[in-house]
Amino acid sequence: MQLEVRGLSKSYGFAWALRDIDLELHGGDSVALLGPNGAGKTTLLKALAGLLRPTSGEIRFNGTSLRQGSARLRSTIGLLSPNDHLYEKLTAEENLRLFFALYSRKEKNGDIRGALDAAGLADWSGEYVAALSSGMKCRLSIAKWLLLEPKLLLVDEPYGVLDGGGVDLLEDQLKNVCRSGGIVVMATHDVTRAAAFCSRAVILRRGKLVFDEAKRRPWESFYSAVDEYRPRGEAWPS
Amino acid sequence: MRWTNIDREEKHGLPEPDRLLLWKDLLLELRRRESLLAMFFFGALLLFIFHFALDVRPEKAADMAPGLLWLAVVFCGTLGLMQLFQAERENRCLEALLLSPIDRAVIFVSKVFFNLILMVMLEIVIFPLFWVLFNLTAWDRLPMIFLYGLLGTVGFCVVGTLFSALTLGARGREILLPLLLLPMLIPVVLATIRGIEIVLQAGDFSEALPWLHLLIGFDVIFSTAGILVFEWIVEP
Repeated sequence: MQLEVRGLSKSYGFAWALRDIDLELHGGDSVALLGPNGAGKTTLLKALAGLLRPTSGEIRFNGTSLRQGSARLRSTIGLLSPNDHLYEKLTAEENLRLFFALYSRKEKNGDIRGALDAAGLADWSGEYVAALSSGMKCRLSIAKWLLLEPKLLLVDEPYGVLDGGGVDLLEDQLKNVCRSGGIVVMATHDVTRAAAFCSRAVILRRGKLVFDEAKRRPWESFYSAVDEYRPRGEAWPS
Repeated sequence: MRWTNIDREEKHGLPEPDRLLLWKDLLLELRRRESLLAMFFFGALLLFIFHFALDVRPEKAADMAPGLLWLAVVFCGTLGLMQLFQAERENRCLEALLLSPIDRAVIFVSKVFFNLILMVMLEIVIFPLFWVLFNLTAWDRLPMIFLYGLLGTVGFCVVGTLFSALTLGARGREILLPLLLLPMLIPVVLATIRGIEIVLQAGDFSEALPWLHLLIGFDVIFSTAGILVFEWIVEP
């Protein structure tokens, strides 16, 4: 599994959201995508998901351009965006059934019930998504990608709405994706959790890639690079 | 109407994506009741206003009725188009559909069929009302009138769905959609009105045939164009 990004740029009118991004990710990588507000993190995630047409540059997934092999490749890409991508007036179970079928998966051994159970939503399976809290919606999104088993899982700012159990559920799933040879790219502002979880960190600033390093101990270069994004007075874990 | 119905229906495999999306839209409409109720109410209201305000005499009814009927259909349909992608706008569900491995044209086709079902249901209610209010008596010509009405409705749904998708992310969508849509609909509205008018007045179908050809051509061209360009329209 290999993801190559070459010279990726995206502009909205005269404003550049991404400029000349080069990245090469391999199976098993868990990447923390960091940067201040407006750095281009979500734009990069959407471009990697094939939801944005780049202004220039190319994204290749196992050597195949995301444009050329789009329908087949899309079935292996997941975008976990808390509170998004769920129909409000379908129940939790109906949402999973819809996307399960759209991804041409045939249910066996109560997969869907099992995923809801694993996400701690078994008792809410018949509730409309509109009636769920933000944290429960995020858990439902996690259950969705647990079922669909993507090879590349893109995660957009997941920590804000999850409780402790939800964070454990998320990180277990992300580890499973990496263990099975997949790639995880997580955009987050929670630098402490990102530093603990990731195997590599990428920092964007005004659409440009300014930092890209594999994790090491000690990781002073990372700490100094992200220091300006951290809240005042927040100490690094010892 | 439950989600499990579509699962049970497909005993030998998975439901086709277009049927699945159509089922989803019907289920959501049944639960939200936003489009259809507003369309019914607005359609009936318009017909009553036309009837009482214009005082159409029986001998003039065949001249004026098709235009008035289609004015009501187009206005009500535009009201429905505003809500057509509402479920996909909430929680950015369109992104979730675009991310899935289905052909993006399938999203367009399922929306056209959903819109067509809503429009046919609307017409089932307002057409008899219109027939009674305007004292129309051409019972023998009903099949031809239905044919023109159906072809006009298909044209409206295809172009309407396309422009509804085109204006999805636009600011002032409620103003922009009718402004863009109505000029594009001129050929289909004109052909439907003229076709029905000729059939109602004289019953001479040969005179109305060019309008029928225009409607068929319009439907085929815009359906093909919609399937081909939908992916480009919805991708940011």
